[in-house]
Amino acid sequence: MSPANTILILADDDPDDRLLTREAFEEAGYQGTFQFVEDGRQLLEYLDHSRKSLPGIILLDLNMPRMSGYEALSELKADQALRRIPIIVLTTSSADEDVLRSYDLGVNSFITKPASFQELTEVAKRVIDYWLETVKLPPQH
Amino acid sequence: MASASPPGSLTDHDEVFRLVFEAAPNGIVVIDAQGTIVLVNRQAEKMFGYERQEFIGLRIEDLVPKRLRQAHVQHRKGFSENPSQRVMGMGRDLHARRRDGSEFPVEIGLTPVKFPSGMLVVSSIVDTTERTRTENELRRYAAELERSNADLRNFAHVASHDLREPLRKITAFGERLRKHCAGSLDERGCDYLQRMTDASHRMQGLIEDLLAFSRVSMHRLPVQDVDLDKVLDTVLEDLEIRIGETGAVIERATPLPTLQADRSQMGQLFQNLVSNALKFHQPGQPPRLIVSAACPSPRRVRLEFQDHGIGFEPQYAERIFGIFQRLHGRQEYEGTGVGLAICRKIAELHHGSITALGKPGTGATFVLELPLHQPTPPAS
Repeated sequence: MSPANTILILADDDPDDRLLTREAFEEAGYQGTFQFVEDGRQLLEYLDHSRKSLPGIILLDLNMPRMSGYEALSELKADQALRRIPIIVLTTSSADEDVLRSYDLGVNSFITKPASFQELTEVAKRVIDYWLETVKLPPQH
Repeated sequence: MASASPPGSLTDHDEVFRLVFEAAPNGIVVIDAQGTIVLVNRQAEKMFGYERQEFIGLRIEDLVPKRLRQAHVQHRKGFSENPSQRVMGMGRDLHARRRDGSEFPVEIGLTPVKFPSGMLVVSSIVDTTERTRTENELRRYAAELERSNADLRNFAHVASHDLREPLRKITAFGERLRKHCAGSLDERGCDYLQRMTDASHRMQGLIEDLLAFSRVSMHRLPVQDVDLDKVLDTVLEDLEIRIGETGAVIERATPLPTLQADRSQMGQLFQNLVSNALKFHQPGQPPRLIVSAACPSPRRVRLEFQDHGIGFEPQYAERIFGIFQRLHGRQEYEGTGVGLAICRKIAELHHGSITALGKPGTGATFVLELPLHQPTPPAS
Protein backbone atom coordinates (compact mmCIF):
# COMPACT_ATOMS: atom_id res chain seq x y z
CA MET A 1 0.00 0.00 0.00
CA SER A 2 0.99 3.65 0.05
CA PRO A 3 4.40 4.37 1.53
CA ALA A 4 4.32 5.60 5.10
CA ASN A 5 6.41 8.66 4.28
CA THR A 6 3.84 10.04 1.85
CA ILE A 7 2.20 13.31 2.79
CA LEU A 8 -1.30 13.93 1.54
CA ILE A 9 -2.64 17.44 1.91
CA LEU A 10 -6.37 17.90 2.12
CA ALA A 11 -7.44 21.50 1.56
CA ASP A 12 -11.09 21.77 2.53
CA ASP A 13 -12.94 24.25 4.75
CA ASP A 14 -15.61 21.71 5.69
CA PRO A 15 -14.71 19.77 8.86
CA ASP A 16 -17.18 16.98 8.01
CA ASP A 17 -15.54 16.47 4.66
CA ARG A 18 -12.08 16.51 6.19
CA LEU A 19 -13.16 13.77 8.59
CA LEU A 20 -14.94 11.70 5.93
CA THR A 21 -12.14 11.99 3.40
CA ARG A 22 -9.57 11.01 6.00
CA GLU A 23 -11.59 7.97 7.04
CA ALA A 24 -12.20 6.99 3.43
CA PHE A 25 -8.47 7.10 2.67
CA GLU A 26 -7.72 5.13 5.82
CA GLU A 27 -10.28 2.48 4.89
CA ALA A 28 -8.80 2.40 1.41
CA GLY A 29 -5.44 1.51 2.90
CA TYR A 30 -3.59 4.82 2.94
CA GLN A 31 -0.72 4.62 5.43
CA GLY A 32 0.98 7.96 4.97
CA THR A 33 0.49 11.25 6.80
CA PHE A 34 -2.45 13.63 6.45
CA GLN A 35 -2.04 17.36 6.54
CA PHE A 36 -5.22 19.43 6.77
CA VAL A 37 -5.60 23.04 5.69
CA GLU A 38 -8.82 25.01 5.60
CA ASP A 39 -8.34 27.40 2.71
CA GLY A 40 -6.03 28.35 -0.13
CA ARG A 41 -3.97 30.72 1.96
CA GLN A 42 -3.25 28.11 4.63
CA LEU A 43 -2.29 25.73 1.85
CA LEU A 44 0.26 28.15 0.38
CA GLU A 45 1.62 29.01 3.85
CA TYR A 46 2.01 25.35 4.68
CA LEU A 47 3.82 24.62 1.42
CA ASP A 48 6.04 27.65 1.92
CA HIS A 49 7.17 26.32 5.29
CA SER A 50 7.70 22.77 4.04
CA ARG A 51 9.89 23.22 1.01
CA LYS A 52 12.13 20.45 2.30
CA SER A 53 9.39 17.84 2.51
CA LEU A 54 6.74 18.63 -0.03
CA PRO A 55 3.54 16.57 -0.12
CA GLY A 56 3.11 13.74 -2.58
CA ILE A 57 -0.36 14.84 -3.51
CA ILE A 58 -2.84 17.62 -2.82
CA LEU A 59 -6.60 17.13 -2.63
CA LEU A 60 -8.09 20.54 -3.24
CA ASP A 61 -11.60 21.83 -2.65
CA LEU A 62 -12.56 24.74 -4.92
CA ASN A 63 -15.00 26.69 -2.85
CA MET A 64 -13.18 27.87 0.27
CA PRO A 65 -13.21 31.15 2.20
CA ARG A 66 -10.35 33.68 2.20
CA MET A 67 -8.59 32.07 -0.77
CA SER A 68 -10.44 29.76 -3.12
CA GLY A 69 -9.02 26.64 -4.68
CA TYR A 70 -8.73 28.48 -7.99
CA GLU A 71 -6.60 31.26 -6.54
CA ALA A 72 -4.38 28.76 -4.76
CA LEU A 73 -4.06 26.78 -8.00
CA SER A 74 -2.88 29.81 -9.96
CA GLU A 75 -0.17 30.51 -7.39
CA LEU A 76 0.89 26.89 -7.08
CA LYS A 77 1.23 26.41 -10.79
CA ALA A 78 3.28 29.61 -11.09
CA ASP A 79 5.86 28.25 -8.63
CA GLN A 80 8.68 26.24 -10.21
CA ALA A 81 8.92 23.71 -7.37
CA LEU A 82 5.27 23.47 -6.31
CA ARG A 83 3.87 23.07 -9.79
CA ARG A 84 5.12 19.46 -9.91
CA ILE A 85 2.92 18.29 -7.05
CA PRO A 86 -0.10 16.45 -8.43
CA ILE A 87 -3.29 18.25 -7.55
CA ILE A 88 -6.66 16.55 -7.49
CA VAL A 89 -9.68 18.75 -7.25
CA LEU A 90 -12.24 17.18 -4.90
CA THR A 91 -15.33 19.35 -4.95
CA THR A 92 -19.11 19.26 -4.73
CA SER A 93 -19.34 20.85 -8.16
CA SER A 94 -19.81 18.87 -11.31
CA ALA A 95 -20.37 21.92 -13.49
CA ASP A 96 -18.61 21.96 -16.85
CA GLU A 97 -17.25 25.45 -16.26
CA ASP A 98 -15.54 24.33 -13.03
CA VAL A 99 -14.08 21.26 -14.72
CA LEU A 100 -12.73 23.30 -17.64
CA ARG A 101 -11.37 26.08 -15.48
CA SER A 102 -9.63 23.60 -13.19
CA TYR A 103 -7.90 21.78 -16.02
CA ASP A 104 -6.99 25.10 -17.64
CA LEU A 105 -5.25 26.01 -14.39
CA GLY A 106 -3.34 22.75 -14.51
CA VAL A 107 -5.01 20.30 -12.14
CA ASN A 108 -4.22 16.64 -12.68
CA SER A 109 -7.66 15.24 -11.94
CA PHE A 110 -11.09 16.56 -11.20
CA ILE A 111 -13.35 14.50 -8.93
CA THR A 112 -16.85 15.37 -7.75
CA LYS A 113 -17.41 14.41 -4.11
CA PRO A 114 -19.51 11.26 -4.30
CA ALA A 115 -22.86 11.01 -2.56
CA SER A 116 -22.01 8.10 -0.27
CA PHE A 117 -19.12 7.09 1.95
CA GLN A 118 -18.85 3.79 0.14
CA GLU A 119 -18.24 5.60 -3.14
CA LEU A 120 -15.81 7.98 -1.46
CA THR A 121 -13.80 4.98 -0.28
CA GLU A 122 -13.75 3.66 -3.85
CA VAL A 123 -12.49 7.03 -5.05
CA ALA A 124 -9.79 7.01 -2.38
CA LYS A 125 -8.72 3.51 -3.48
CA ARG A 126 -8.36 4.64 -7.07
CA VAL A 127 -6.46 7.77 -6.10
CA ILE A 128 -4.03 5.69 -4.01
CA ASP A 129 -3.73 3.03 -6.73
CA TYR A 130 -2.96 5.48 -9.44
CA TRP A 131 -1.28 8.49 -7.89
CA LEU A 132 0.60 6.84 -5.05
CA GLU A 133 1.33 3.39 -6.42
CA THR A 134 1.30 3.51 -10.21
CA VAL A 135 2.70 6.79 -11.43
CA LYS A 136 6.21 8.02 -10.77
CA LEU A 137 5.99 11.24 -8.81
CA PRO A 138 8.63 13.96 -9.05
CA PRO A 139 11.47 13.45 -6.57
CA GLN A 140 11.26 15.49 -3.38
CA HIS A 141 14.01 17.87 -2.38
CA MET B 1 -90.66 66.70 -45.00
CA ALA B 2 -90.12 67.49 -48.67
CA SER B 3 -87.51 70.07 -47.79
CA ALA B 4 -85.50 67.60 -45.68
CA SER B 5 -82.71 66.13 -47.74
CA PRO B 6 -81.15 62.84 -46.83
CA PRO B 7 -77.76 63.27 -45.23
CA GLY B 8 -75.06 63.36 -47.83
CA SER B 9 -77.19 65.02 -50.53
CA LEU B 10 -75.69 67.97 -52.29
CA THR B 11 -77.74 70.54 -50.48
CA ASP B 12 -76.36 69.80 -47.01
CA HIS B 13 -72.99 68.59 -48.16
CA ASP B 14 -71.06 71.27 -46.34
CA GLU B 15 -73.05 70.73 -43.16
CA VAL B 16 -72.36 66.98 -43.19
CA PHE B 17 -68.67 67.58 -43.63
CA ARG B 18 -68.65 70.13 -40.85
CA LEU B 19 -70.41 67.71 -38.51
CA VAL B 20 -68.06 64.89 -39.41
CA PHE B 21 -65.09 67.20 -38.90
CA GLU B 22 -66.36 68.31 -35.52
CA ALA B 23 -67.31 64.82 -34.38
CA ALA B 24 -64.01 63.22 -35.39
CA PRO B 25 -62.44 61.38 -32.43
CA ASN B 26 -59.01 62.71 -33.41
CA GLY B 27 -57.96 66.28 -32.86
CA ILE B 28 -57.72 68.00 -36.24
CA VAL B 29 -55.63 71.12 -36.75
CA VAL B 30 -55.30 72.70 -40.19
CA ILE B 31 -52.47 75.11 -40.90
CA ASP B 32 -51.52 77.24 -43.87
CA ALA B 33 -48.18 77.35 -45.63
CA GLN B 34 -46.82 79.77 -43.02
CA GLY B 35 -47.70 77.50 -40.14
CA THR B 36 -50.65 79.53 -38.91
CA ILE B 37 -53.62 77.61 -37.59
CA VAL B 38 -56.67 78.23 -39.76
CA LEU B 39 -59.09 75.53 -38.65
CA VAL B 40 -59.52 73.23 -35.62
CA ASN B 41 -62.21 70.80 -34.50
CA ARG B 42 -63.83 70.30 -31.13
CA GLN B 43 -61.54 67.44 -30.13
CA ALA B 44 -58.47 69.63 -30.79
CA GLU B 45 -59.89 72.31 -28.52
CA LYS B 46 -60.45 69.77 -25.80
CA MET B 47 -57.00 68.26 -26.26
CA PHE B 48 -55.04 71.49 -26.16
CA GLY B 49 -57.29 73.55 -23.86
CA TYR B 50 -57.78 76.53 -26.18
CA GLU B 51 -61.10 78.22 -26.98
CA ARG B 52 -61.67 78.27 -30.70
CA GLN B 53 -61.30 82.03 -31.09
CA GLU B 54 -57.87 82.06 -29.44
CA PHE B 55 -56.85 78.85 -31.22
CA ILE B 56 -57.30 80.22 -34.74
CA GLY B 57 -54.36 82.38 -35.65
CA LEU B 58 -51.88 80.67 -33.29
CA ARG B 59 -48.72 79.33 -34.88
CA ILE B 60 -48.47 75.55 -35.00
CA GLU B 61 -45.25 75.82 -32.97
CA ASP B 62 -47.38 77.09 -30.07
CA LEU B 63 -48.60 73.50 -29.78
CA VAL B 64 -45.04 72.15 -29.65
CA PRO B 65 -42.99 71.95 -26.41
CA LYS B 66 -40.63 74.94 -26.25
CA ARG B 67 -37.48 72.87 -26.48
CA LEU B 68 -38.60 71.31 -29.76
CA ARG B 69 -39.92 74.43 -31.52
CA GLN B 70 -36.73 75.30 -33.39
CA ALA B 71 -36.49 71.78 -34.80
CA HIS B 72 -40.17 71.76 -35.64
CA VAL B 73 -39.81 74.82 -37.88
CA GLN B 74 -37.10 72.95 -39.79
CA HIS B 75 -39.21 69.79 -40.07
CA ARG B 76 -42.12 71.87 -41.31
CA LYS B 77 -39.94 73.48 -44.02
CA GLY B 78 -38.80 70.05 -45.10
CA PHE B 79 -42.40 68.89 -45.28
CA SER B 80 -43.60 71.85 -47.37
CA GLU B 81 -40.77 71.30 -49.87
CA ASN B 82 -41.80 67.68 -50.27
CA PRO B 83 -45.40 67.39 -49.10
CA SER B 84 -46.92 63.94 -48.89
CA GLN B 85 -49.36 62.12 -46.66
CA ARG B 86 -47.35 60.62 -43.82
CA VAL B 87 -47.12 59.86 -40.17
CA MET B 88 -45.19 62.57 -38.37
CA GLY B 89 -41.94 61.84 -36.59
CA MET B 90 -41.83 58.12 -37.37
CA GLY B 91 -39.87 56.29 -34.71
CA ARG B 92 -39.68 59.33 -32.44
CA ASP B 93 -41.66 59.96 -29.26
CA LEU B 94 -43.78 62.98 -30.16
CA HIS B 95 -45.08 65.36 -27.53
CA ALA B 96 -47.56 68.21 -27.78
CA ARG B 97 -48.03 71.20 -25.49
CA ARG B 98 -51.34 72.28 -23.96
CA ARG B 99 -52.38 75.87 -23.32
CA ASP B 100 -51.31 75.49 -19.67
CA GLY B 101 -47.82 74.37 -20.72
CA SER B 102 -48.27 70.71 -19.82
CA GLU B 103 -47.18 68.08 -22.34
CA PHE B 104 -48.73 64.88 -23.59
CA PRO B 105 -47.58 62.13 -25.97
CA VAL B 106 -49.19 62.18 -29.40
CA GLU B 107 -49.34 60.46 -32.72
CA ILE B 108 -49.85 62.74 -35.71
CA GLY B 109 -50.82 62.05 -39.30
CA LEU B 110 -50.10 64.80 -41.82
CA THR B 111 -52.06 65.33 -45.04
CA PRO B 112 -51.20 68.16 -47.43
CA VAL B 113 -54.21 69.59 -49.29
CA LYS B 114 -53.72 71.88 -52.30
CA PHE B 115 -56.02 74.84 -52.81
CA PRO B 116 -55.82 77.46 -55.57
CA SER B 117 -54.87 79.93 -52.86
CA GLY B 118 -52.06 77.74 -51.50
CA MET B 119 -51.36 74.57 -49.57
CA LEU B 120 -53.00 73.63 -46.30
CA VAL B 121 -51.74 70.87 -44.05
CA VAL B 122 -54.25 68.82 -42.11
CA SER B 123 -52.84 67.28 -38.89
CA SER B 124 -54.81 64.52 -37.31
CA ILE B 125 -53.72 64.17 -33.69
CA VAL B 126 -54.25 61.26 -31.28
CA ASP B 127 -53.49 61.70 -27.57
CA THR B 128 -51.59 58.49 -26.71
CA THR B 129 -51.24 59.16 -22.97
CA GLU B 130 -53.44 56.24 -22.03
CA ARG B 131 -51.96 53.89 -24.61
CA THR B 132 -48.38 54.83 -23.71
CA ARG B 133 -49.18 54.27 -20.05
CA THR B 134 -50.70 50.86 -20.78
CA GLU B 135 -47.78 49.93 -23.02
CA ASN B 136 -45.27 50.97 -20.39
CA GLU B 137 -47.18 49.05 -17.76
CA LEU B 138 -47.26 45.95 -19.94
CA ARG B 139 -43.57 46.28 -20.68
CA ARG B 140 -42.77 46.66 -17.00
CA TYR B 141 -45.00 43.73 -16.14
CA ALA B 142 -43.33 41.52 -18.76
CA ALA B 143 -39.89 42.50 -17.48
CA GLU B 144 -40.93 41.77 -13.90
CA LEU B 145 -42.36 38.43 -14.91
CA GLU B 146 -39.18 37.51 -16.76
CA ARG B 147 -37.12 38.55 -13.75
CA SER B 148 -39.21 36.60 -11.29
CA ASN B 149 -39.09 33.55 -13.56
CA ALA B 150 -35.33 33.85 -13.72
CA ASP B 151 -35.22 34.21 -9.92
CA LEU B 152 -37.31 31.10 -9.55
CA ARG B 153 -35.10 29.10 -11.90
CA ASN B 154 -32.00 30.28 -10.05
CA PHE B 155 -33.64 29.55 -6.74
CA ALA B 156 -34.40 25.95 -7.66
CA HIS B 157 -30.88 25.52 -8.96
CA VAL B 158 -29.06 27.11 -6.05
CA ALA B 159 -31.35 25.60 -3.44
CA SER B 160 -30.89 22.11 -4.75
CA HIS B 161 -27.13 22.58 -4.94
CA ASP B 162 -26.96 23.76 -1.36
CA LEU B 163 -29.41 21.14 -0.15
CA ARG B 164 -27.23 18.41 -1.58
CA GLU B 165 -24.35 19.29 0.72
CA PRO B 166 -25.81 18.49 4.16
CA LEU B 167 -27.63 15.54 2.67
CA ARG B 168 -24.40 14.02 1.42
CA LYS B 169 -23.10 14.21 5.00
CA ILE B 170 -26.25 12.64 6.46
CA THR B 171 -25.88 9.77 4.03
CA ALA B 172 -22.16 9.38 4.64
CA PHE B 173 -22.34 9.55 8.45
CA GLY B 174 -25.32 7.19 8.34
CA GLU B 175 -23.06 4.70 6.60
CA ARG B 176 -20.31 5.30 9.18
CA LEU B 177 -22.80 4.83 12.00
CA ARG B 178 -24.04 1.55 10.59
CA LYS B 179 -20.53 0.26 10.04
CA HIS B 180 -19.03 1.26 13.36
CA CYS B 181 -21.90 1.47 15.82
CA ALA B 182 -24.40 -1.09 14.54
CA GLY B 183 -23.22 -3.39 17.34
CA SER B 184 -24.35 -0.97 20.02
CA LEU B 185 -27.77 -0.45 18.45
CA ASP B 186 -30.65 -2.84 19.16
CA GLU B 187 -32.89 -4.13 16.38
CA ARG B 188 -35.17 -1.13 16.62
CA GLY B 189 -32.23 1.27 16.46
CA CYS B 190 -30.93 -0.46 13.36
CA ASP B 191 -34.40 -0.18 11.79
CA TYR B 192 -34.52 3.56 12.53
CA LEU B 193 -31.09 3.98 11.03
CA GLN B 194 -32.10 2.06 7.91
CA ARG B 195 -35.23 4.19 7.48
CA MET B 196 -33.18 7.35 7.92
CA THR B 197 -30.66 6.25 5.33
CA ASP B 198 -33.38 5.25 2.87
CA ALA B 199 -35.09 8.60 3.32
CA SER B 200 -31.92 10.52 2.69
CA HIS B 201 -31.26 8.49 -0.47
CA ARG B 202 -34.78 9.35 -1.62
CA MET B 203 -34.19 13.00 -0.92
CA GLN B 204 -31.01 12.84 -2.93
CA GLY B 205 -33.08 11.53 -5.83
CA LEU B 206 -35.61 14.34 -5.43
CA ILE B 207 -32.89 16.96 -5.41
CA GLU B 208 -31.19 15.48 -8.47
CA ASP B 209 -34.50 15.55 -10.29
CA LEU B 210 -35.29 19.06 -9.14
CA LEU B 211 -31.92 20.10 -10.52
CA ALA B 212 -32.67 18.30 -13.78
CA PHE B 213 -36.02 20.10 -13.94
CA SER B 214 -34.48 23.52 -13.35
CA ARG B 215 -31.72 22.77 -15.85
CA VAL B 216 -34.33 22.31 -18.58
CA SER B 217 -35.16 26.00 -18.56
CA MET B 218 -31.69 27.23 -17.58
CA HIS B 219 -29.55 25.51 -20.17
CA ARG B 220 -31.08 25.96 -23.55
CA LEU B 221 -29.19 25.38 -26.75
CA PRO B 222 -30.00 27.20 -29.99
CA VAL B 223 -32.62 25.46 -32.08
CA GLN B 224 -31.56 23.48 -35.13
CA ASP B 225 -33.18 21.07 -37.54
CA VAL B 226 -33.72 17.88 -35.60
CA ASP B 227 -34.64 14.59 -37.25
CA LEU B 228 -37.02 13.01 -34.74
CA ASP B 229 -36.49 9.55 -36.29
CA LYS B 230 -32.82 9.83 -35.36
CA VAL B 231 -33.72 11.11 -31.90
CA LEU B 232 -35.90 8.06 -31.33
CA ASP B 233 -33.15 5.76 -32.69
CA THR B 234 -30.68 7.18 -30.19
CA VAL B 235 -33.10 6.91 -27.29
CA LEU B 236 -33.88 3.29 -28.16
CA GLU B 237 -30.15 2.54 -28.31
CA ASP B 238 -29.62 4.15 -24.92
CA LEU B 239 -32.48 2.15 -23.44
CA GLU B 240 -31.43 -1.07 -25.20
CA ILE B 241 -30.68 -2.96 -21.99
CA ARG B 242 -33.98 -2.16 -20.32
CA ILE B 243 -35.86 -2.86 -23.53
CA GLY B 244 -34.12 -6.24 -23.66
CA GLU B 245 -34.77 -7.02 -20.00
CA THR B 246 -38.46 -6.17 -20.19
CA GLY B 247 -38.98 -7.74 -23.64
CA ALA B 248 -40.57 -4.48 -24.73
CA VAL B 249 -41.95 -4.09 -28.24
CA ILE B 250 -41.60 -0.60 -29.63
CA GLU B 251 -43.18 0.13 -32.99
CA ARG B 252 -42.84 3.13 -35.22
CA ALA B 253 -46.15 3.35 -37.06
CA THR B 254 -45.07 6.25 -39.29
CA PRO B 255 -41.79 7.98 -40.08
CA LEU B 256 -41.18 10.92 -37.75
CA PRO B 257 -40.60 14.39 -39.14
CA THR B 258 -37.70 16.81 -38.88
CA LEU B 259 -38.43 19.99 -36.98
CA GLN B 260 -36.65 22.92 -35.37
CA ALA B 261 -35.79 22.21 -31.74
CA ASP B 262 -33.13 21.96 -29.08
CA ARG B 263 -31.71 18.55 -30.00
CA SER B 264 -30.75 17.45 -26.51
CA GLN B 265 -34.12 18.46 -25.09
CA MET B 266 -35.91 16.44 -27.77
CA GLY B 267 -33.74 13.51 -26.72
CA GLN B 268 -34.70 14.00 -23.09
CA LEU B 269 -38.39 14.34 -23.98
CA PHE B 270 -38.41 11.11 -26.02
CA GLN B 271 -36.34 9.29 -23.43
CA ASN B 272 -38.76 10.22 -20.65
CA LEU B 273 -41.79 9.15 -22.68
CA VAL B 274 -40.26 5.84 -23.73
CA SER B 275 -38.99 5.16 -20.19
CA ASN B 276 -42.46 5.89 -18.91
CA ALA B 277 -43.92 3.22 -21.18
CA LEU B 278 -41.22 0.75 -20.14
CA LYS B 279 -42.00 1.36 -16.49
CA PHE B 280 -45.79 1.37 -16.39
CA HIS B 281 -46.53 -1.84 -18.28
CA GLN B 282 -49.20 -4.35 -17.31
CA PRO B 283 -47.91 -6.82 -14.75
CA GLY B 284 -46.88 -10.01 -16.50
CA GLN B 285 -46.99 -8.45 -19.94
CA PRO B 286 -44.03 -6.94 -21.79
CA PRO B 287 -44.31 -3.20 -22.43
CA ARG B 288 -45.66 -2.20 -25.82
CA LEU B 289 -45.34 1.28 -27.31
CA ILE B 290 -46.45 2.67 -30.66
CA VAL B 291 -44.97 5.95 -31.79
CA SER B 292 -46.59 7.81 -34.67
CA ALA B 293 -46.64 11.26 -36.22
CA ALA B 294 -49.23 13.27 -38.10
CA CYS B 295 -49.38 16.83 -39.39
CA PRO B 296 -52.72 18.36 -38.40
CA SER B 297 -51.62 21.62 -40.06
CA PRO B 298 -48.70 22.59 -42.30
CA ARG B 299 -47.00 24.24 -39.36
CA ARG B 300 -47.49 21.74 -36.59
CA VAL B 301 -46.72 18.12 -35.95
CA ARG B 302 -48.63 15.81 -33.66
CA LEU B 303 -46.75 12.91 -32.13
CA GLU B 304 -48.41 10.09 -30.27
CA PHE B 305 -46.79 7.72 -27.82
CA GLN B 306 -49.38 5.07 -27.25
CA ASP B 307 -48.66 2.37 -24.71
CA HIS B 308 -50.62 -0.66 -23.55
CA GLY B 309 -49.63 -0.27 -19.94
CA ILE B 310 -51.56 0.21 -16.74
CA GLY B 311 -53.06 3.54 -17.85
CA PHE B 312 -54.60 5.94 -15.35
CA GLU B 313 -57.91 7.39 -14.23
CA PRO B 314 -58.88 10.20 -16.65
CA GLN B 315 -59.18 12.70 -13.80
CA TYR B 316 -55.41 12.48 -13.31
CA ALA B 317 -54.63 13.41 -16.93
CA GLU B 318 -53.36 16.85 -15.88
CA ARG B 319 -51.96 15.98 -12.49
CA ILE B 320 -49.38 13.57 -13.86
CA PHE B 321 -47.54 16.49 -15.48
CA GLY B 322 -47.04 18.27 -12.15
CA ILE B 323 -43.62 18.15 -10.56
CA PHE B 324 -43.21 15.37 -7.95
CA GLN B 325 -46.69 14.06 -8.73
CA ARG B 326 -46.98 10.30 -8.46
CA LEU B 327 -50.05 8.17 -8.86
CA HIS B 328 -48.51 5.05 -7.33
CA GLY B 329 -46.75 4.16 -4.14
CA ARG B 330 -42.98 4.03 -4.03
CA GLN B 331 -43.15 0.29 -3.42
CA GLU B 332 -44.99 -0.28 -6.70
CA TYR B 333 -43.03 1.97 -9.04
CA GLU B 334 -39.84 3.82 -8.30
CA GLY B 335 -39.19 7.40 -9.38
CA THR B 336 -39.79 10.88 -8.07
CA GLY B 337 -42.45 12.09 -10.48
CA VAL B 338 -40.38 14.57 -12.42
CA GLY B 339 -40.13 12.87 -15.84
CA LEU B 340 -43.45 14.07 -17.22
CA ALA B 341 -43.04 17.52 -15.65
CA ILE B 342 -39.81 17.81 -17.62
CA CYS B 343 -41.65 16.64 -20.77
CA ARG B 344 -44.22 19.37 -20.35
CA LYS B 345 -41.57 21.99 -19.67
CA ILE B 346 -39.70 21.02 -22.84
CA ALA B 347 -42.89 21.04 -24.93
CA GLU B 348 -43.82 24.47 -23.62
CA LEU B 349 -40.33 25.88 -24.16
CA HIS B 350 -40.77 24.79 -27.77
CA HIS B 351 -44.17 26.55 -28.01
CA GLY B 352 -45.94 23.21 -28.06
CA SER B 353 -48.04 21.16 -25.70
CA ILE B 354 -48.31 17.70 -24.25
CA THR B 355 -51.44 16.01 -22.97
CA ALA B 356 -52.28 12.52 -21.86
CA LEU B 357 -55.25 10.30 -22.51
CA GLY B 358 -55.72 7.19 -20.51
CA LYS B 359 -57.94 4.55 -19.01
CA PRO B 360 -56.99 2.25 -16.19
CA GLY B 361 -55.96 -1.12 -17.53
CA THR B 362 -55.92 -0.22 -21.20
CA GLY B 363 -52.92 2.08 -21.47
CA ALA B 364 -52.03 5.69 -21.92
CA THR B 365 -51.43 7.89 -24.95
CA PHE B 366 -49.20 10.92 -24.70
CA VAL B 367 -50.00 13.46 -27.38
CA LEU B 368 -47.28 15.91 -28.19
CA GLU B 369 -47.95 18.88 -30.45
CA LEU B 370 -44.98 20.86 -31.65
CA PRO B 371 -44.51 23.60 -34.23
CA LEU B 372 -42.23 22.67 -37.13
CA HIS B 373 -40.50 26.04 -36.88
CA GLN B 374 -39.49 27.97 -33.81
CA PRO B 375 -39.91 31.74 -33.73
CA THR B 376 -36.62 33.60 -33.96
CA PRO B 377 -35.78 34.75 -30.45
CA PRO B 378 -35.71 38.52 -30.07
CA ALA B 379 -32.18 39.91 -30.02
CA SER B 380 -31.31 40.65 -26.43
